[in-house]
Amino acid sequence: MIPQFEFAAFVWTSYAIFAIIVAWQIIQPILRRRRLEAEIREEMALKLGESTDDPNP
Amino acid sequence: MWQTIKVGFHKLGSPPIFYRVCQVLSPWLWAGFAVSLVIGLYYALYVVPPDYQQSDSFRILYIHVPSAWQAMAGYLVMSILAVIALVWRIRTTEIMAMSAAPIGAAFTLICLATGSIWGRPMWGTFWAWDARLTSMLILLFIYLGIMGLYAAFEDKRKGARVACILILVGLVNIPIIHFSVEWWTTLHQGRGISFVGESTMDASMKPPLIWMIVATKLLFTAALLDRSRNELIEQDRRKGWIRQKLGASV
Repeated sequence: MIPQFEFAAFVWTSYAIFAIIVAWQIIQPILRRRRLEAEIREEMALKLGESTDDPNP
Repeated sequence: MWQTIKVGFHKLGSPPIFYRVCQVLSPWLWAGFAVSLVIGLYYALYVVPPDYQQSDSFRILYIHVPSAWQAMAGYLVMSILAVIALVWRIRTTEIMAMSAAPIGAAFTLICLATGSIWGRPMWGTFWAWDARLTSMLILLFIYLGIMGLYAAFEDKRKGARVACILILVGLVNIPIIHFSVEWWTTLHQGRGISFVGESTMDASMKPPLIWMIVATKLLFTAALLDRSRNELIEQDRRKGWIRQKLGASV
């Protein structure tokens, strides 16, 4: 149940801003780590592919 | 005892050990944050009665004050890390100092935004160029300046060292923020909340504040470890140890 407050618009706007910024603090590092890990794995796969390619087919 | 601390301190300077420590501690800190946040919000929104003067608008205090304190505490932590980075040239502390800036900026932004919203019904204005508000805005600009300066350098170690000097220069703003309500006549209220001495805040209103302070501290630490770990992955992406760790978790 959502409590009914006086000055509700001010209170809930403040809490919404807090929630958005906190959520960003949680999500942003997760997204960055996923992107970094994907990039590194891609680089590793490319390197592995290069090393297994026969230079004299 | 001292020897153990010294050895532990030096071990944390090793990127693989630091990476592992971040990996192990982070979930516990996030869990602690979630628990303290839920308890804090429950008390702040459902248990504590309205203030006799400010009515329900005072509930903004439970996010405004912990964020403001964390914005300043985060700067102090960042300054300590900057000193260690400059004196001992430990790369992991450089990384931590740089990773602390966006989190500190986020808390400063929460403080400024919620303070401004709280100001409208209480002061009749969203903004006043008084000492407390202005010095807090300067703190946000310092945080953004540190982030920008670090990002501007291609050589991350050089960028971190220059940004660490800026951190120490900006440290002068912290006592200005803290004492601004005493040194100047401000629209912002004076210091009234204390957990040890005399406080103008009723004891029944303190528990949610304590929980929210704990929550913001845990959030700062957890986000700091996560961001530091990411920065370490970014910097050491071509090194064998990071490829070994990521390869093992495929």
